[in-house]
Amino acid sequence: MSSPISSWEGASTVFTFADKPMVLGFILVVAVALTIFAIYATVRHEQVSYKSPMIKK
Amino acid sequence: MEQATPTLEELQQLIQMSNTINMEIFYWWCIALMMVIHAGFLSYEIGASRLKNALTAGVKNILAFAFIVPTFFFFGWWIYNGFSGGLIPDLDGAAASLPWASSMGPNITDNATGIFWAAFVLFAATTASIMSGALIERTRMSAFIVLAIILGSGVWILGAAWSWHPAGWLTTEWGFHDVGAAGCVHTIAGFFTLGVVMNVGARIGRFNADGSSNNIVGHSMPMSVIGLMLVIVGFFGFLGGCIIYNGGGQWTNIYGQPATLSAFAFNTLMGFSGGLIGAYLTTREPFWMMSGGLIGIVSVAPGLDVYYPPLAFVIGMGVAAAAPLVHKFLGKRGIDDAVGAFAVHGFGGFAGLVLSGIFIAGYPNVIEGSPAVNFLGQTGGAIVLAALGFIPGYFISLLMKKMGVLRVPAHAEERGLDLVEVPAQAYPEWAITGASITTVSEGEVRPNTIIGETKPA
Repeated sequence: MSSPISSWEGASTVFTFADKPMVLGFILVVAVALTIFAIYATVRHEQVSYKSPMIKK
Repeated sequence: MEQATPTLEELQQLIQMSNTINMEIFYWWCIALMMVIHAGFLSYEIGASRLKNALTAGVKNILAFAFIVPTFFFFGWWIYNGFSGGLIPDLDGAAASLPWASSMGPNITDNATGIFWAAFVLFAATTASIMSGALIERTRMSAFIVLAIILGSGVWILGAAWSWHPAGWLTTEWGFHDVGAAGCVHTIAGFFTLGVVMNVGARIGRFNADGSSNNIVGHSMPMSVIGLMLVIVGFFGFLGGCIIYNGGGQWTNIYGQPATLSAFAFNTLMGFSGGLIGAYLTTREPFWMMSGGLIGIVSVAPGLDVYYPPLAFVIGMGVAAAAPLVHKFLGKRGIDDAVGAFAVHGFGGFAGLVLSGIFIAGYPNVIEGSPAVNFLGQTGGAIVLAALGFIPGYFISLLMKKMGVLRVPAHAEERGLDLVEVPAQAYPEWAITGASITTVSEGEVRPNTIIGETKPA
């Protein structure tokens, strides 16, 4: 169950896994890692692009 | 059918909930309008780029936004709520802003956190967009993304914690007053950009060996001018986001002083029109006129809640008339700010803050023990925020330059970054047929040179 609530009585925080700190932490780490990976992928794309024979003088 | 008469308590709850939802709705639409700022910057930058770099400029601008959103969730909002006292974080005060806090996600008892976070994200993305235009046509995408994250999710929001927060030390200690974020958004972004531009260097062909310069013209001034007008439209959302909606009570500015949107309306439009005219008087051209309108708004932003409207008109006109001269001054020193971002935002924000120190001095603060607005506080605040922008912008980009990751290789820059990095073409028909178009040059008709290279299929 990913929902932190099973009834509306006294409900406040309703986002997925709010009652499971370990899972929440894992998802957060994954999101951070993907953000960093996207920057790395941009760097790789540039390196490959700049070495492409198509643009060599 | 008989209707039950609501009790007083039920009526109070009804009014309270109505106020809460109205607050959410107000900021929701401010956020939507602020998105228009980015549509504007996108158009503005693409138009200011040469044909060979048009799409790269767009991709860069879009990615700035894309990376600001998650990083502002990860740490930007926490910085705002944790650093109002200076450089030592208030861990308890900022605990609710940590990315795993119960208010940092869907919470049916919290209507405020998400909507304020989102509004601040849009302010953050604006700072990155301010920098983006200055760096077009020669900056590495990856370097720009990193710099945009540092500026948008780090530096400006630290400045906002100091100067645009009810408990910010610049306000509580110096009486700093800047309702429209001329300091934390525009001055910081402008000076950060200046630091980066100094290290990234000029575009190839911008300056000659003898010290003279060549004007590099973008491929579509109409696109840039329309983009600037969109930025202006979006600024009504931006400035709406600068006022606090108090359910059942008068609006206040971010420092808690009573304010009205009517005041903002008077002075935003008067500053805008003053800026348009001021830039027209010194340049006569539409790119700087529209930039001048923006400068006018930026320069009156500190005192939007206080200025006599004709004073806002005069301030906007004066600062916008001077800004193109500042841009020229930088150009004469070999600094290639492709769109005049420093002149518009850095100079415009800084000058606006200093002038506000003259014209709104004595305006009382509501925070107990805080001094009234004063010239030294406004000027000192402007200097602090300018330094807060310039120092990290300059030194981080210097480090990137030393590492060889700041600028694209010369051969890629000369060929054009769209051809090198982007698997798409901005104007494919134009590029394909370009070689067959004829043009008249000094009385002769000759085949045109290829104006854009096509990519291999």
